[in-house]
Amino acid sequence: MVSTFEEYEVIDLFSGWNPKTDPIINLINLKKWFPISEQSILFSRVVAQIKAVDGVNLFLNKGETLGLVGESGCGKSTTARVTVKLEEPTEGSIYFKGIDIFQPMTREEELAIKRQLQMVFQDPYSSLNPRRMVLDLIKEPFDIHFPDMTYEEKESRVLEILTKVGLEDYHALRYPHEFSGGQRQRIGIARALAIHPEVVLLDEPVSALDVSVQAQILNLLHDLQVEFNLTYMFIAHDLSVIKHVSDRVAVMYLGKIMEMSPTGELFRKTAHPYSVSLLSAIPRPDPRIKMDRIILEGDVPSPINPPSGCPFHPRCYKAQEICSQVTPTLDELEPGHFVACHFPEI
Amino acid sequence: MKMAKTILDVQDIYTYFYTESGVVEALDGVSFDVYQGEPVGIVGESGCGKTVTAKSTLRILDKNGKTVAGKIIYKGVDLLELPDLQMRKIRGKEIAMIFQDPMTSLNPIFKIDDQMTEVIALHRNCSRREALEYALEALEQVGIADAAARIKDYPHQFSGGQRQRIFIARALALQPSLLIADEPTTALDVTIQAQILELIKEMQKKHGLAMMLITHNLGVVAETTKRVHIFYGGRVVESGPTEDIFIDPKHPYTRALFDSIPSLEKDKHRLATIPGLVPRLINPPKGCRFHPRCKFATEICMRERPPDVIIDKQKGRRVQCHHFEELDLHVDDSTMKERTSIKEET
Repeated sequence: MVSTFEEYEVIDLFSGWNPKTDPIINLINLKKWFPISEQSILFSRVVAQIKAVDGVNLFLNKGETLGLVGESGCGKSTTARVTVKLEEPTEGSIYFKGIDIFQPMTREEELAIKRQLQMVFQDPYSSLNPRRMVLDLIKEPFDIHFPDMTYEEKESRVLEILTKVGLEDYHALRYPHEFSGGQRQRIGIARALAIHPEVVLLDEPVSALDVSVQAQILNLLHDLQVEFNLTYMFIAHDLSVIKHVSDRVAVMYLGKIMEMSPTGELFRKTAHPYSVSLLSAIPRPDPRIKMDRIILEGDVPSPINPPSGCPFHPRCYKAQEICSQVTPTLDELEPGHFVACHFPEI
Repeated sequence: MKMAKTILDVQDIYTYFYTESGVVEALDGVSFDVYQGEPVGIVGESGCGKTVTAKSTLRILDKNGKTVAGKIIYKGVDLLELPDLQMRKIRGKEIAMIFQDPMTSLNPIFKIDDQMTEVIALHRNCSRREALEYALEALEQVGIADAAARIKDYPHQFSGGQRQRIFIARALALQPSLLIADEPTTALDVTIQAQILELIKEMQKKHGLAMMLITHNLGVVAETTKRVHIFYGGRVVESGPTEDIFIDPKHPYTRALFDSIPSLEKDKHRLATIPGLVPRLINPPKGCRFHPRCKFATEICMRERPPDVIIDKQKGRRVQCHHFEELDLHVDDSTMKERTSIKEET
């Protein structure tokens, strides 16, 4: 059984939230722009904005896994970083259990929110401090969120979570370089889950791993989700991984959500031309299949100066004049199936 | 079936790295062949010796590495016996290599034209002016728009996909007979990966190139290659035509590797995993190197190295397993379908 933190005083901010009807996380028109500035001798001025996230609407329901998929540079990781309060948004808001997490609040309230939102990073080789032992690495979240906890209790909780992620007691006294990539990712997961968050943002947790190890980590994540009743936002660029883990999928392109729907629906009734080409680009592991694939021309445009209208129109096979002028909104075409396209396939 | 001519015949090579912590037996008796004009896949997880094989062939191993035994016969000549000066003429001119990371494989401080014309002038014995023409022709072939102007740009002015195209153009401008592509699409996004694979396939057919495609992506292998060599722990555990390997694998590792790919099939079932880790080659397991992770392993597997059994000489079907005759690892149609289908039937 999972030991909880009942004996510790935790601020309850979320009394107004109803898990049955409301999403646990709700991103509304989220924008995150990074300024590029030019230095002169005295002044620096902003010459352009990198529109990494440019109006994202997205929600997560309690207990589900939302897969966020897209090519590199489309704003997946930035979305996740803003959602866990690692970055301030430029515009828009994020509601966690009905509370705007960027509203002014006390340090205690902020910690209470951050404790519930944890993140697992992509690269297990650079996301762990090489000079700290695993014990200290996993103990750190307790030091921040439960300063009153005794050392012995922290230690026993570290050992408990280590076993949960499939490592041994003696691993606690080792340093990150002594572990393989898969084991390091287990440490990263243990660090995120140690303080029992409700929502975990997994930023490409398996893309640096070998296929056979990737399968182990995916199974582990699934077991932990069931055991701790976790809500996942799973970021990946590999569609077969996304399809395997997600209940719902959101497809992102140049800072915007193109399509969001239940997983089966997305693969069966793909509506957005970008999703269609993305699916058709995956190489299938069967030598007998000869594919007729849609090969997109060119590269993803720069987010500094994204195309007008629909950001996908310069590469789209269905683009018409309207696509370059009017930005399509994310509309619910069928229950639960949202598409931002003027000419969807359904 | 017409008998193809062998262009590269690697016979029982051993490559060791001498490190502070001991001798790494990176290649332990590797034998395989590549036919003229044929794309061959080299498949395995990281650390299995794929890249070391390529580097041994070109004799570009790091200083602490050495191929201590074996023969690498290229067009009838043993590359390991060649004097350095002649080996230089083989590299690039006869055997070209494309690397994984297009961000680091071009020199960032030279313009594209310098980087291309230098090698072309050297290897094709022509003037710089002629070399520039060859370079432009090659760039146009690989689909760099406005090549004449862009050849004056620096590598950082190109996207990842374009850099990989430039690298391919540089390799092909020398008109090699054998192309070694080391994970050419791993660093790229799916839609760009599809573009580059299409380009490589087209170039391979057009120039009648023999190709060694090193990859861990089984989808890429299935679509691109005619034959496959499966590597594990510095040995070739299985070889044969791509279709046979995918549908009727003989080695337990091959089957386990294929089973651990997340399928695009609907159910959220658990992935089959291979227990344990890729072996470290400093002190590799005795006998069959896969035995600690193999569910069919018996006492003989721990003791004796499995012999290299030729099952079908005509097809080049070989396997290194003590028990392959007793095992039925055939992949039935429904499993195959699960692995590959995107649109599931409902």
